[in-house]
Amino acid sequence: MTETTQTKPYIDAFPAARGGAGDRLRPQREAALARFAALGFPTRRQEAWRFTDLRPLERQSYPPSAGGAAPAAALDALRLAGATHRLVLVNGRFAPELSDLAALPEGAWIGPSAQALAERPALSLLDAGEIDGAQPFAALNAAFFTDGAVIALAPGVVLDRPVEIIHLGRAEAPVSLHLRSRIELAPGSRARVVESFAGTGPYWTNAVLGVELGAGATLEHVRLQDEGVEAIHLSLARLRLGAGACYDAFALTLGGALSRQDVQVELAGEGARVGLGGVYLLRGTQEATTALLVDHAAPGCTTRELFKGVIGDRAHGAFQGAIAVRPGAQKTDAHQLNKNLLLSRRATVDTKPALEILADDVKCSHGATVGDLDEGALFYLRARGIAEAEARRMLIEAFAADALDMVEDTALRAHLAGHLQRWPGLRESRET
Amino acid sequence: MSNSVAAQSFDAVREVTGDSYKYGFVTDIESESAPPGLDEGTIAFISAKKHEPEWLLAWRLNAYRHWQKMAEPHWAKLRVAPIDYQAATYYSAPKRQNAPKSLDEVDPELLKTYEKLGIPLSERAALAGVAVDAVFDSISVATTFKAKLGELGIIFCSFGEAVREHGELVRKYLGSVVPQGDNFFAALNSAVFSDGSFVYVPPGVRCPMELSTYFRINAAKTGQFERTLIVADKGSYVSYLEGCTAPQRDENQLHAAVVELVALEGAEIKYSTVQNWYPGDAEGRGGIYNFVTKRGACRGDNSKISWTQVETGSAITWKYPSCLLEGDNSVGEFYSVAITNNLQQADTGTKMIHLGRNTRSTIISKGISAGRGQNTYRGLVRIQPKAENARNYTQCDSLLIGPRCGAHTVPYIEVRNPSARVEHEATTSKISEDQMFYCRQRGLKQEDALSLIVNGFCKEVLKELPMEFAVEAQKLLAVSLEGSVG
Repeated sequence: MTETTQTKPYIDAFPAARGGAGDRLRPQREAALARFAALGFPTRRQEAWRFTDLRPLERQSYPPSAGGAAPAAALDALRLAGATHRLVLVNGRFAPELSDLAALPEGAWIGPSAQALAERPALSLLDAGEIDGAQPFAALNAAFFTDGAVIALAPGVVLDRPVEIIHLGRAEAPVSLHLRSRIELAPGSRARVVESFAGTGPYWTNAVLGVELGAGATLEHVRLQDEGVEAIHLSLARLRLGAGACYDAFALTLGGALSRQDVQVELAGEGARVGLGGVYLLRGTQEATTALLVDHAAPGCTTRELFKGVIGDRAHGAFQGAIAVRPGAQKTDAHQLNKNLLLSRRATVDTKPALEILADDVKCSHGATVGDLDEGALFYLRARGIAEAEARRMLIEAFAADALDMVEDTALRAHLAGHLQRWPGLRESRET
Repeated sequence: MSNSVAAQSFDAVREVTGDSYKYGFVTDIESESAPPGLDEGTIAFISAKKHEPEWLLAWRLNAYRHWQKMAEPHWAKLRVAPIDYQAATYYSAPKRQNAPKSLDEVDPELLKTYEKLGIPLSERAALAGVAVDAVFDSISVATTFKAKLGELGIIFCSFGEAVREHGELVRKYLGSVVPQGDNFFAALNSAVFSDGSFVYVPPGVRCPMELSTYFRINAAKTGQFERTLIVADKGSYVSYLEGCTAPQRDENQLHAAVVELVALEGAEIKYSTVQNWYPGDAEGRGGIYNFVTKRGACRGDNSKISWTQVETGSAITWKYPSCLLEGDNSVGEFYSVAITNNLQQADTGTKMIHLGRNTRSTIISKGISAGRGQNTYRGLVRIQPKAENARNYTQCDSLLIGPRCGAHTVPYIEVRNPSARVEHEATTSKISEDQMFYCRQRGLKQEDALSLIVNGFCKEVLKELPMEFAVEAQKLLAVSLEGSVG
């Protein structure tokens, strides 16, 4: 097992953190740790990590968290109005006192991963990719994960209310939270899931989510990433869609000193549909990367991607979107758009929307733009007596809110719009 | 309809594949070649053969030392069979190199070769008003219209001659745009470059004719390492044409050229390429490896560099003509058509590096894939912090013909200045059945309809070509895709 100064603290921490003999995943965890050690931390020389500056993560090590507690008030800004199935995790462990899973309909299993491991042996929380894949942090997650959220719906089950999954990090000293979640929707079932990430202190959220959608299943998935200012957030979602399945996701990225979300979708069944939307609002010295890969493995599938970035101060935003169309995936219809607004002289952005197409009867397109606020639009508003600061706020908000239209549910859209409007960057002056 | 169209396209592709390469022949000329292999001795041999000054030998050796430390790049979306650099011959020259002062003195074998290519040198020069600096293997054998250009102070000669006659100019600009250690293939070229063209246009002069070079690869196992350097002094203008065909043979041949352009204040350089090297046979045997580094620097304010390329040949193309927009208000353009058929692979695109204020760049790329061809657009648009009000517009469209080809788009956009406006759009589709139907119901044959649609698809690029090339380019498109219907 090779060790570097970066990987060593994690390898050393393994026996103490996951040394329990009762863990039935022990062999896989050890293999995953070996994989992590072999891969090491990614570098910017690797194409997939070219735009992501991992230095904040490399400056110090983040030993695995031993757990923690949070007051109910910590949920206030995150909770949805109205009834939900709620699952709260604090420092990577299920917090039953903050959760509410009392009213589950028949055919729905919603609960923490640790419990699912015990009660649902058929559920595959770990992926073969952890042992031979190329994602070092997913491998590390496999070695260390403590808990997460699991949603499993029987065929045809339609959840009456949204599932709320809230991840809270509370840290005085650096800790890492390794969350592993799984959503399995059997054919014809339907769910709406809202995942929120928030916290205080120097913690590192390392989340991995696996999603399997059966034929005709539908998942709406909203992610609100509003981590603490010192936090690091790395997440990887791997999805597999069966025939006619539908996945609609929206990600609002606000928090974290360093964040990156990887979404990898395999459209395995004919006629599957995926919509990925998002907004990233960055200020200070924030660093955020969105990396998407949609793999059209079956014919007749549709992809819609729209990501908008607003980048202020000295922040850096990056977008890497790839759409691959395999041989035989005819009648693919894929569209990808990334638009960025730079608010300050030192704000920077990198974008790489790539297409890889190996079938001929396809309709694929992508676009990317980078610019600052339109002087003409600003002048138009000012000529009507609107103060400059207010005019700027309106334009920035309108630019970002445009992408929110991808969220169909009005209450959810309003919830996200509220977070967007509270973004401090909207009220800051131009040159900071 | 779709089924029948697909079936027809299969047949059509086979038909195209069946066509043997029109320009496949080998001219028998005694070569005076260096023994195969590459070491410092080979480089000294090349340099001595060409009677080069000491500084150039030192420059070559420096490049060679860089190259030894470098690794072959593998980031492109290409499958390249391993290249044995020690098996290649790095110098080969037609024997009678001392003599030719006029076309009469040129080896008749050579002239026949050009005739077979359809470019009778003398006629073409006379009729089209084009000065041709023909490169056969590694040595320039004929340069025409020199006197006429000389009157204006324009230097247009072989690289070797330029080193001898205009050493100070060459020394000043050589490697100033593509440094010796820039990349693996540029370093190799810098170490062993054989010959090429040199152009210098003095201040305020507008070159009255298109300057043109026809490249050919001939002797077996000869790597071809062209070096082209074009300097446009203040307020001058020059349009340069480059075209190439190569004889058919079974082994892969490596071609690693370097082209450097320098545009000083207010100068404009237009560089056009039609590349039609042997692409290999239907099973992908043979064909040229075309690994080229082309870069232009807009050094002065208000300068402009425009690249236009039509890439139909070569087994593998690895080529990114780029612009460094250093001067304020400078302009970079890239217009490209790339066709891959059979097992051809192309990974091509451009880099636009915006450094000066109000710099503008335009990228129009059209990729056409047929057969089992793989076509990748890879481009970088980078706006540096001091490039106020920079503008870029990029459009890359791909056309797919047949179910086994691939089209890929990999654009990088890196913006370090908020006043920039960068727009990128890309589309990929097959020829629409509606377009086809529309043409057919007006009585056009399927082939003519295809040609019409493909030419329309490429129109924005083709219209950038000088007249001399436009005709050839359209012919090439038609030949490359003859009969295919998507």
